[in-house]
Amino acid sequence: MSRFARSIVFGSLLTAMVPAVAGAQSRGGASPQLDLSISPASITFASADPDVSPTVAAAPVVVTVRVRQNSGSWTLTVLAGGDLLAGPSTVDITNVSWTATPAPPYQNGTLSKTVAQRLASGTGNVNPAANGSVTFRLANSWLYSAGSYTQTLVFTLSAP
Amino acid sequence: MIAPRRLLAAVIAWTVAAPAARAAAQASTATLSANVGTIAKLNLSTASASFPDADPDALPLIPSAGGPILITAKSRANPGVVVVLTLQAADDLRSGVNVIPASNITWTATGTGFVGGTLSKVTPVTVATWTGSGVRSGSQQLYFRNLWTHPTGTYTVSLLYTLSAP
Repeated sequence: MSRFARSIVFGSLLTAMVPAVAGAQSRGGASPQLDLSISPASITFASADPDVSPTVAAAPVVVTVRVRQNSGSWTLTVLAGGDLLAGPSTVDITNVSWTATPAPPYQNGTLSKTVAQRLASGTGNVNPAANGSVTFRLANSWLYSAGSYTQTLVFTLSAP
Repeated sequence: MIAPRRLLAAVIAWTVAAPAARAAAQASTATLSANVGTIAKLNLSTASASFPDADPDALPLIPSAGGPILITAKSRANPGVVVVLTLQAADDLRSGVNVIPASNITWTATGTGFVGGTLSKVTPVTVATWTGSGVRSGSQQLYFRNLWTHPTGTYTVSLLYTLSAP
């Protein structure tokens, strides 16, 4: 290999090494440690007469968050995998909203299948773990087709 | 190439030796379920209809007093199924021993899905049909066929409206 070729190889290795080292520093002991749990993991709306129950509440969900080794902000979001589905029938997921306590760090909102919605946020650590209570509600309607609808919700706790 | 080789080996060794990182994001999933059952609710603007006495020549069809009956039918049905509103007489019109067949009552109707018909005590007669879930409104005007042959008297009969959303 010529001296010129050796320089290119060496230079490439140095270039590759720099981000690796930077990543190592960010992955050190100071990186955020996040823990999240949802209980129960099954959220169910019972059938109800829309005239009697314009909104149907599910049993409260306990969200447990623990954030350690974090010096910046943290965010908890929820994103629906799509609309509520029952065979060929759909119920737009925006018909599902929630109320959450304590506020702050929790906030109320409406589900989306396209944009993760903020459920809670804060700065620093949450240690020991803290519970929040989230109650989901379905806007009831005579226009829904009968059926057993399901959809998956993804809760994401992040500390960028 | 000795120096680059050593450097590459050092990088690989360092990468392997580096402590595993905790993720900067944690995800958890939950399943959302909604049970939407079949249900039907029917509302009539009045629970009684009456036909005033009239000269059969002047008024061969007597409309019920008070005008049309306003009907609101709410239903949640399985997708694609037909929701049906029917009307059936419990019996013929009776006044003591005198009888006027229920078929002497007819109706016209307005509103999407509503149709006119003739009352029967034998079979339910369709008042309206729709497909699937929804809230529907219409009106039904009842008429009594006024004949000279009807015996005099005050006749009554019960009518049964049935909304079914299978």
